Amino acid sequence: MKKLVYLFVATLFLTAFSLDAKAQCNADSYSNDCIPKLSGGFNFLKSYKIDGVGGSKKKVEYSYVFTKGTQYMINICSEGESTDGIVVSLYDSKRQKVGTSEYQGQKLTAIAYPCNNTGIYYITYTFSESSKYCGGSALGFKR
Amino acid sequence: MKKLIFGILAISFACSSGDKPADEQAFLDELDSMKIEGPAISEEVISDIIQSIPSPLEISVLLKESGTKYNSAILNTPDNTSKYNSNYSKALNLGIFGTDLGYTNIYQQNQDGLDYMASIKELADGLNIGQFFDIETIGKLATNSKNLDSLLLITTQNFNSINHYLQEQNRSNLSVLLLTGGWLEAIHVTCQVSSQDPDNKELQEKIGEQKIILENIVLLVSFYKETDSNMKALMDDLLKLQTAFDAIEITTTYKESTMEVIDGVMVIKDNSESHVNITTENVEEIKSLTEAIRKKVIS
Repeated sequence: MKKLVYLFVATLFLTAFSLDAKAQCNADSYSNDCIPKLSGGFNFLKSYKIDGVGGSKKKVEYSYVFTKGTQYMINICSEGESTDGIVVSLYDSKRQKVGTSEYQGQKLTAIAYPCNNTGIYYITYTFSESSKYCGGSALGFKR
Repeated sequence: MKKLIFGILAISFACSSGDKPADEQAFLDELDSMKIEGPAISEEVISDIIQSIPSPLEISVLLKESGTKYNSAILNTPDNTSKYNSNYSKALNLGIFGTDLGYTNIYQQNQDGLDYMASIKELADGLNIGQFFDIETIGKLATNSKNLDSLLLITTQNFNSINHYLQEQNRSNLSVLLLTGGWLEAIHVTCQVSSQDPDNKELQEKIGEQKIILENIVLLVSFYKETDSNMKALMDDLLKLQTAFDAIEITTTYKESTMEVIDGVMVIKDNSESHVNITTENVEEIKSLTEAIRKKVIS
C-alpha cells in the first residue's frame, strides 16, 4: 500500500514539475507585448515565440519570404525593457548573415531591413548571457 | 491511509480532467472526426514552411501605393459563399476572402469589408474555427477610417491564430488550403491590375517574384497529394502554373550589407540587388492560368 502511495505522490510531483517547466516561459505574452512596439508605420505580419527552454536550446529559428521594395522590422521583447541577452540575426537564402541586433557589445531591441532582394530569409534568435532564455518577437512591414 | 489515497486520486483526477470540460471534449472529438490521413512529412516542417509564406496584405499595400484605384469587380463576390460546401472549398475560399478583406481594408472600403467579414465568419464557422473572428469588434473598427491600423492588426492576428490552431489540431491541410487560396487571390488581383497597366514594371516584377512563393506552395500541397484527391488535382493545376513561371529568371548580385544604429534600431543597408526578367507576355500567360485555377476554386 505504501508503494502505491509513493507512486501516486511521485506522479503528482512529476506532473506538477512538468506543468511548472512549461509555464516557465510565457513567450506568447512577450510576443504580444512586441506588436504595439512596431512603431513608425510598420504593419504587423507575424509574432514569434522565443523559448530557449531554460538554456537547453541554443537558437530559435523562423523563416519568411521578404520581398524587394519592402522594409521590414523585427523587434525583441523580454522581461522589462531589455532583451535579456536575446539577439536576432538575419540570414539570406544562402545562409549569409545580413545583419544582427548585436552592436559593439550592445543588444538592440530591433532591426530594420529595407529589402533589395526577394527570397527566403532566416530569422534566428540566439542567447548571450540570458537569464531566462525566454522572449517574444514581432515582424512588421511597410512600403 | 485510505483517505489519503482517495484524496490523491481525487486530486489526480481533477488535475487530468480539469482543463477539458465535457463540451470542449465533444468539440475536440468533432474536430478529430474531420482529420484526414496525415502526410509522411512532420507537422513541424509543414508549420515552418507555412510560416514563411508572405502575407497577401503586402501586395494590397503595393497596389494602393502604386496609385491603383480600388476595383471590387476583380475580387470574389461574397454572394458566392453559399456555394462552398466541402471543407476543401471552404478553406480555399476562406483564404481568398481573407485576401479580399485585406484589399478592401487597405483601400478603406469598409462596407465591402464588412460583407467579406460576414462571408469569412460563415466559412470559418463551417470549419469550426469561427471562434477566432470577433466580428463585433471588427464591425466597430470598420465604422471609422481612423481605425485602419487596428483593423489590419486584428484581422492579421485572427488569421495567424487560425493557422496556429489548425496546426496544433493536426489540421494543417486546411491551413495549407487557406494559404493557397490567399496567395491565388493575391496573384490574380496583381495580374489583373498589371494587365491594365502594362508599363508598371514594379507590378510585373512582383508577379515574377511569386515564382519563389509558388515553389513553397507546391511543396506544401504535394505533401497531401497521396491522401487527398482534391489536393492532388490542385497540385496538378499549380504545376501547370509553375511551368509558366519557369520562363522567368531572377538574378541576384550579392554584396555584403552594412549596418548603422538609428534611434536605437539597427538599420541594415542591403547592398545586394535582384532583377526579375519578365515580359508582358509572361504576365498574360500567368494571368490566364491563374484565372483558370481560380475559376475552378470560386465557382
